This record gives sequence, structure tokens and C-alpha cells, in this order.
Amino acid sequence: MKHQLSRRDMLKGTAAGAVGLVAGLAPAAVPAQDVITLRFQQNEARFTPVFENFNEIMPGTDVEFLNITGIDHEEVASKILNMLAAGQPLDAGYAATEATVLYAGQGVAASLTERVLDAQDELADYYADMAPICPETMLWEGNIYQLPDSCNAPNMFFNMNLLEQAGLDTPPADWTKDDFHEYAVATTGLGGEETFGYAWVNRLWGSWGPWYFVNGSNFLTEDRSPGGEWFWETFYPDNDDVAHRGGGFRWPAPSANDPATVEALEYVTSLTNEGIAPGIEMGGGASLVGLFVSDKIAMTPMGGFGAGYLVNNGMEKGQFDAQLWPHWKSQRHQLGVGGNWIFTGSPNADRMWDFLKFSIQVDQLLSQAGRYRPLMTTTPVRRSMAIAEAYEPTGPANWSVFYETLDRPDTAPIPAPPEANAVTNIHTRFTGLALSGELTPQEAMDQAQAELETLFARTRA
Amino acid sequence: MASETLATRERRGSLLGWFRADTFEGVRRQRAILGYLFLLPAFIGLVAFVVGPMFVSFGLSFYRWNIFKPPDPIGIANFQRLLTDSRLPGIYGNTMLLVVGTVVITQVLAIALALGVTQLRSRKFAYFLRTAWFLPVLMSGAAVGVTLSYLFQREFGPINYYLGVLGIDRIPWMTSASTVMYTIIITAVWKNLGFIFVIYLGGVVSLPQEILDAADVDGAHGWRRLWTVTLPLISPIMLFATVINVIGAMQIFDEPQIMTRGGPGDGSRTAVMYMYEVAFKEQEFGYGSAIAVTLFIAILIVTGIQFALSRRWVFYG
Repeated sequence: MKHQLSRRDMLKGTAAGAVGLVAGLAPAAVPAQDVITLRFQQNEARFTPVFENFNEIMPGTDVEFLNITGIDHEEVASKILNMLAAGQPLDAGYAATEATVLYAGQGVAASLTERVLDAQDELADYYADMAPICPETMLWEGNIYQLPDSCNAPNMFFNMNLLEQAGLDTPPADWTKDDFHEYAVATTGLGGEETFGYAWVNRLWGSWGPWYFVNGSNFLTEDRSPGGEWFWETFYPDNDDVAHRGGGFRWPAPSANDPATVEALEYVTSLTNEGIAPGIEMGGGASLVGLFVSDKIAMTPMGGFGAGYLVNNGMEKGQFDAQLWPHWKSQRHQLGVGGNWIFTGSPNADRMWDFLKFSIQVDQLLSQAGRYRPLMTTTPVRRSMAIAEAYEPTGPANWSVFYETLDRPDTAPIPAPPEANAVTNIHTRFTGLALSGELTPQEAMDQAQAELETLFARTRA
Repeated sequence: MASETLATRERRGSLLGWFRADTFEGVRRQRAILGYLFLLPAFIGLVAFVVGPMFVSFGLSFYRWNIFKPPDPIGIANFQRLLTDSRLPGIYGNTMLLVVGTVVITQVLAIALALGVTQLRSRKFAYFLRTAWFLPVLMSGAAVGVTLSYLFQREFGPINYYLGVLGIDRIPWMTSASTVMYTIIITAVWKNLGFIFVIYLGGVVSLPQEILDAADVDGAHGWRRLWTVTLPLISPIMLFATVINVIGAMQIFDEPQIMTRGGPGDGSRTAVMYMYEVAFKEQEFGYGSAIAVTLFIAILIVTGIQFALSRRWVFYG
């Protein structure tokens, strides 16, 4: 028998379905439980072993990982800020220098000062085991915001296959910009016209920044804020290297068209114009690593992370080496520091703090999957981990340069104020215009200076 | 009978009675209400996710708001800033170049390919071509951007390598402000051609055969038949295809964001990219909303012009 659905039956059915749907979506009664679930913006594979270890000593912690990706740090920071603004809270996250002051300045990251002071006995070994510049980069206006776990300064990496072809060896630590230029000229064109002496990526860290640093300049003027005595007196009471340190770095004004900054840009632009360096690309530098590995590039800026990256991408131990950045007017290095921070509104801040303190112990850092073992894919913030044994599978021969760079008293962070995302945009945009020949370096930096002044006038009014 | 009539009257007096009334008007009312009920979910979605955010965005354009502090009303300051923003003319110039370039090339190629494929005798070959041209549509813009940025790389990319084999100098596809927009146009055309092609293909295969036969009998062949019969017949489809093509081109984001991030300088930055950067990267939601308002007005004007001009060349008969 054929049954025809009447309109009335249809409406009844729809209403019944709607009631069922609402009933189904209604939250079920949640049984009382002691498990705290932490929302953590971190690499799940990397941090799962650490959480498993943490649960053994402090049961009842679950974790929901939020793996946020981006082309570069400022894109990740943007996603996190917008996620928080959209009402999706975090308990903690990971930030590099590009976002440390940005989060602190926006009030998104909670000050850890009280917690650090309360736990000073537990943290004494941790801070004693690191170069003072690493925690100093985590200070802002006298308060501390992160527990660092990695610290990378751009060093010069050498493709030893190309250097050998040119009859060159790794230069000494006191090599100069002129030495660098000779190396770059000697290695350009060795494997055909697609081989370049030097290459870099247009971004904030490790771009042409190392050149304006060694030329005695910066993209923004650099200053140290007052405060921070509590930190230095507590954790570095007998260290002579902390007398000049303060409550964190601040960048009061733009200095993009400082003559030394312009001179640095003129130099890197000349490298491209002379065919020593290829066209500059944007982003994190994945293709740059590929070109370096395939013997197309002789020298490039990379941090200690380069050791693991290059081997993971097919290079063998001995095929690359590293050295300090060459001396120009100075040999001042820039750096970036990474670590975990706690969200201001985290309802689980106490538990998260317990986890963060736990996670920076040497054995727990080593248990992060694929970070420090089997290959070093970053420079560990803890000096005791940056040892010959750790670099045994990868090299480079001059592995100690990575931590030595952090120990240099004049090493300082990349210019990353609370307006870091806008600064990065201006930095990369005008760098691109100079490199493509649309503007002269002087014109590019003059216009960058004007935009930075407008930006600071607007944001700091 | 008298009591039934009374019950019916009582029912009509109540709301339920009004709804259940088995009169001609009652049935019509029931159908209308049923229609509105079916429209309701889509309407709620439209209000919540399209119209509502549009009004909120328009409202935000009168505030300074960095999402972490309460919005600060600043009147028309964001719109005054638009007028003095030296980057905006170049960025809108890029966007318009992208629209003209991608729409003209895509439309011409899509029509040509649709007409060509329908003339093929081998059905298998026709299926192969249809699939091949449509495949890029299925790829994500990010994947297309990453892949093509390797192909277009100046020193190491295969495109410049093969041009070199032909004796042509390396072209700075992505590193020169004078060429980068053409690279983005080529990429956008390659990515979106298949979609417009499928729209035209649907139109071409459904052309009334009797009209085409009549044109043949009247001696209209080749170009003449194309200009005087085929194109007028598919002109409503052309209007639809150009409108969605223009709107899509004005909103292109993925490819330039991945390939060049808007560089060098602002050489390949589009209006949507600028809005995204200002609002979501620099947390200036008020100014970002003001840019969004200008983009909305620009799309509205361009689409309005398209519809106004369509009266001259679109034939619905």
C-alpha cells in the first residue's frame, strides 16, 4: 500500500525531530571529576612525553594541544591573539621573541614575577644554567613573562662542499666583513650560474638584521627599561655580566634611516645586484635550507637549529660548519628566545605553572620528542645541554659557537616591541622594495622610518 | 449540523483554528507558513553569519579597537585615515589589475575551451580535458601558492630554466614589483579557469539544437554563428560567470599571501590582504573594518555597473 505523507504528518515529524535534536545536543550531566584539562598551544608530538612524565608525579592533568602553524612567528601570534579575542581561551602557549613583548604589552601573557620569586629555590639551578641574555629577553618593564627553553642567534653557516671547492676553510672567529665578501665571491658560480655565495630570507630574525647589528645600528633604537633588580639579585647575585642589565629591552623610537642601518641594507642589496646572492624570498626559509643542502648556497644565516635541520634534510656531518657573524664596526649579535607563557585569564594557571616548572628540568627538556634528541633542532637554553655529545650525530665541528654567541655580553634580541607585527611588516616590505630595485636603500629606509614614526605616534599616544 | 458549524466557528476564533482553517485562504496560509518555516534556517544563518557581521563591521569602522581593550569611539577618523593612507591607492590598483587581468583571460579561455571541448569527436579525450582543466579548482589556494612559487622562483625555478633553454633571460616573476602582479594573474587564472569553464560548458551543451540548425540553414557558420547566435544565447551565463569571476578576483587572498606575502613592497598586496593584515595581524579592527567597508562598496559598484551594462548585451529571450 502506498502511503502518502500529509503536510500535517510532515510538520509533526519535523517538530518531533527538532525536539529530539535539542534533547540530543543538551549537555549531559558531567560527573564530578578531579582531572584538569589544560589547553596548551604547543606541538603535541613534542610535548606528549613531557605531560606523561608530569602525570606520573602529579596525576589528574589532561591536555588539549592546539597546534597553531604559520609562515612565520608573527602569523602564529596573530592567530593566537584572534583566537583569544574570539573567546577561545588558552592556559598557556609558546612564543618566540617576535611575540613575547607583544603578548606582554597586550596584557595577554600573565606576569610570572610572583611565581618565579615564590619558586626561586626550585628555579635557581635552571637560571644558573643559562646565559643571562636569555631570561633578560623574557623580561618586560621589570616583570618576567616566560620560562625560556631555546635561544637562537643567527650565526654564519657554511656549506663545506662549496668552501672546499673554493679552497677555503671555516674562517676564524674574528673574521671580518671583507673576509666574508671574499668567501662569497669565491664560492659564487662554483657549480654553475645557479650557485650563490650567500642567501637569506626576508623576515625579522636572521634577515639582514645581523648586518645592521654588526654595523653598530638597529632598526629601532634599543634601551633597557628600569626594574628587574629583583631578578638579577635573586638568580645572578655574583655574576659580573648582569650589572648592565635591567628590566627587559624596550625600543623607544625608530632608527630605520640611521646611516649605519642604510649602509647595511646597501651592502646586502649590492650582493644581490652583483649576483652573489639570489632574489630574496619571504617566510621561514624552508626552501633556503633545501638549496643549501643541494650545494646551491655557500653561506647563510641560521641559528643552532640549523644543525638538526640540515641533517634532517639530507646533509651529512662534516658537510657544514658555523662561525660567529663577521666583524664590521662591531661583532654584536642578535638573538631570539623561545619559551612558554601563561594566559592572563587562565583558570588553571596554578597547574600550568607546576607543569612549566617541571618541563624546564634537563631530563624533561630532553624528553621532548625530536627537539634535542636524537638531533639538535634548536639551541637549548640550558648550557649543560649544549655539549659535544649532543652535536655528535650532526656536527658542526664548531658547534660550541652557538652557545658562545649567547654568552657574548653585547648580544641582544631582535627589535620586537609590542607593535612587533606591524614593525615586521614594515621591515619586510621596505626590504623587499630595496632588494627589488623599486627604491634605493636610502629611499626605502626613509619611507620605513616615516611609517614607523606614524605607527609609534598612533600606538604610543 | 448546527453544532458542527458552531465548533468550526469556535476553532476559527483561536490561533490554532486560524491555522487549521480548512478554507481556501486557510490552506494558502498554511502553505505560506510552511514556506517560511523552510526558509527560516537559511535566514537565521544569513543574519547570523553574513548580514549581522556586515553591520557589526560597519559599526566597528567608527571605533578604535585592538580586541583586548574596550572599543573607543573615534567618529569618522578611520575614514579620514583612509583618505591619507598612501598605501591604499597602490593596493586598490593591484586589486583592479588583478580583476581585469584574471576576468578577461579566464572568460576568453573558458568560452574557447568550452566550445572546443564540445566539438571533440572523442568522448574519452573530452572527458580527460574536462577533468584536467577542473582539477586545479579542487586544490587549496595555499597548495597552489606553494607549488607555483617554486616553479616561478627566479634563480632555481623550472620555468626560468626552460626559458633559459630558449635563450630568454631570467624573469623576476615574484621579486619585481613590475612583474609580480602578472605572476599572480597567471596563477589565479590557472587555479580558477576550470570552474568558469564548467559553467560555460553547461551552457554550451544545453544550447537549443534547433536554433543552431536553423542558423546553419541560414548560412551562419564559424565566427558568424559564434558572434550572432552562440554568444547571444549564452549571454545570461556570461553575465553570471563574469559577476562571480569579478567578485572572486576582488577577494583573492591565498595565492599572493603564500607566494609573495604581498611583496615586494606592496607590489602584489590586494585589498583583502591589506584588510587582513591591518585587522588580524596588527589588531586595528576599526581601521580594518573601514577598509572592508570600502571593499564592499567597490564590489557593489562594480557589480552594479555589470548589471547596468548587461541590459545592452544580455539576451534572455
